[in-house]
Amino acid sequence: MDEPIIKIRNLHTSYGKRKILKGIDLDVYPYETLVILGRSGCGKSTLLRHIVGLNQPDEGEIIVKGVNIVTASEDEKNEVLKKIGMLFQSGALFNSMTVGENVALPLLEHTPQDENIIKIMTRMKLGMVGLSGFEDFMPSQLSGGMKKRAALARAISMDPDILFCDEPSAGLDPIVAVGIDQLILNLQSAMRMTTVVVTHEMASVFIIADRICLLHEGEIKFLGTKEEMKQSNDPYVVQFLERRADEEHLDPDKYLHELVGEP
Amino acid sequence: MSLKITSKVENQTALLSIAGEVDMCSSPEARKEIAALVKKEIPRIVIDLSGVGYMDSSGVATLIEGLQMCNKYDGKLVVAGLRDNVREVFELTKLDKIFEIYEDAEAALTE
Amino acid sequence: MSKFQQTLGKSGQTLSLFFVHIYRMSVLVIQALYCIFVAPFRGKKLRWGATFVQMVRIGVESVPIVAVIAFSVGLIIAMQAAYQLKRFGAMIYVADLVSVTMCRELGPLITAIIISGRSGSAIAAEIGTMKVSEEIDALKTMALNPVGFLVAPRMVAMMIVVPCLTVLADFVGIGGGFVLAMTNLKLSFVAYFNQTAEALYAKDFITGLIKSFFFAIIIAQVGAYQGFNVQGGAEGVGKSTTTAVVVSIFLVIMADLLFTMLFFSTL
Repeated sequence: MDEPIIKIRNLHTSYGKRKILKGIDLDVYPYETLVILGRSGCGKSTLLRHIVGLNQPDEGEIIVKGVNIVTASEDEKNEVLKKIGMLFQSGALFNSMTVGENVALPLLEHTPQDENIIKIMTRMKLGMVGLSGFEDFMPSQLSGGMKKRAALARAISMDPDILFCDEPSAGLDPIVAVGIDQLILNLQSAMRMTTVVVTHEMASVFIIADRICLLHEGEIKFLGTKEEMKQSNDPYVVQFLERRADEEHLDPDKYLHELVGEP
Repeated sequence: MSLKITSKVENQTALLSIAGEVDMCSSPEARKEIAALVKKEIPRIVIDLSGVGYMDSSGVATLIEGLQMCNKYDGKLVVAGLRDNVREVFELTKLDKIFEIYEDAEAALTE
Repeated sequence: MSKFQQTLGKSGQTLSLFFVHIYRMSVLVIQALYCIFVAPFRGKKLRWGATFVQMVRIGVESVPIVAVIAFSVGLIIAMQAAYQLKRFGAMIYVADLVSVTMCRELGPLITAIIISGRSGSAIAAEIGTMKVSEEIDALKTMALNPVGFLVAPRMVAMMIVVPCLTVLADFVGIGGGFVLAMTNLKLSFVAYFNQTAEALYAKDFITGLIKSFFFAIIIAQVGAYQGFNVQGGAEGVGKSTTTAVVVSIFLVIMADLLFTMLFFSTL
């Protein structure tokens, strides 16, 4: 196998006293689609934020394209980030700019390209996500699904090597969500990107994933292909696949104490 | 990483050979060369991409701009000698529908 | 834990938080100054387009309100001065009082307070909203520095525009005094004009401008800092916006006190 494009070793992090990630080791290989799966609050979004350098871990190293993001200087980090696209959960389009300006922004700031070329590139990227002709719209004029598409166009505007998606289908109806998943899949194969998607939607997982990483309470519970996941006997994996709720264990005494507020 | 660009003009036809990686930083060089040919209003411009191993969307956008400028004076801009991954980029952006694409420079010139 | 210990702990916490704020704010100031004065020489241009937009928003759009308030304040000082000076029959000194207080003190101060309320809050709200909607994070992942991208244009705009507005406030305020002198006090135009010209020294004017330049930095920085500091959602934006106004007015007046003490003893 190729050398991994992202290498995470022994990653620990915490919010205050609460441990979020407890020693993550993870490799992502070029041109694969890795889905990081887990329920809300398991630390999957935090993991993603660490990889793109938005959060500083307590301990551990994250090597993206040969650069350790944790210890790199601002300039080194920025060089890596220029070739990385990130799709945020909320889209995070700049609300004060038009859709076209949003997509053009990284090109204007980071490349020596002429404005005319940037305009053509912007239209091309918007065309790729199915938003031709929307460049003069403001983000507030777009529907949820269209915002995600526009954000995706911005994420790929610099022709990134790696695309990160944080809950791409969150807050969308199932049909639009499938459309976004399909789009991510198409872009990834067309543009030869490595893609890392964070989600809790089992439906999207089976559309897009090459490999799946199941995260539970800050630890990796399972790492492997779809088929391996289906054959797994791990109770938590099975629970996730069958979408069962946690079984409730009720201790009457403890419950009473909780209600009356005495230790 | 700059490009190697040679341009040759022979009776009404220009052959522009580009070699190297056409990316965000280098595509302005190609743009300058194309613009120079367009300015002379050469009726047929052949762009030989057989030396291009990688082309990103800025390179594609540069070619589109060239095509648009050529069309303005009823000129023609064709591309030739696409390598496989460059051809993929063309197909992805549906440019194979817009551009006339030839196997190699010879075929494009004799046309 | 006793009540006393609790109180002590709380105040200790507040105090340490205060120093954390001071520290973080100085970091932001240094970063912003770096982005404005050093980075442009290292190939990271200042965004002049955005700066211009901010200059219009902060400056041009504030002209009417600054003018109206400065005019009113000029009138008010003239009336208060006339009330006192009438007893000595030294009405003509209204000109001195109005022009000197406007230029040295009230012009810069009024402008700074209006801009704190109008634009300091706007900066906090804009940046705060961007933080809440992950736009700041998006900037960072695009390898764009939020300080260079958002704060620097606003700060440059402030540093240019606030002194300009101060000049406007000075003149309009003096004009207010003029109007009262002409109408109510029945002083002659030429006498009042000459008196004003004689009373004003360049240093009065210049110290006012120096102050207003620093006020501009304070307002922009407090607004930006509060914006980046937003916690939670829309509610947090509201809170930070209010805090931005209160803190910047407080700091402006403290800075004013400091400068006045300095100028008072030396100039």
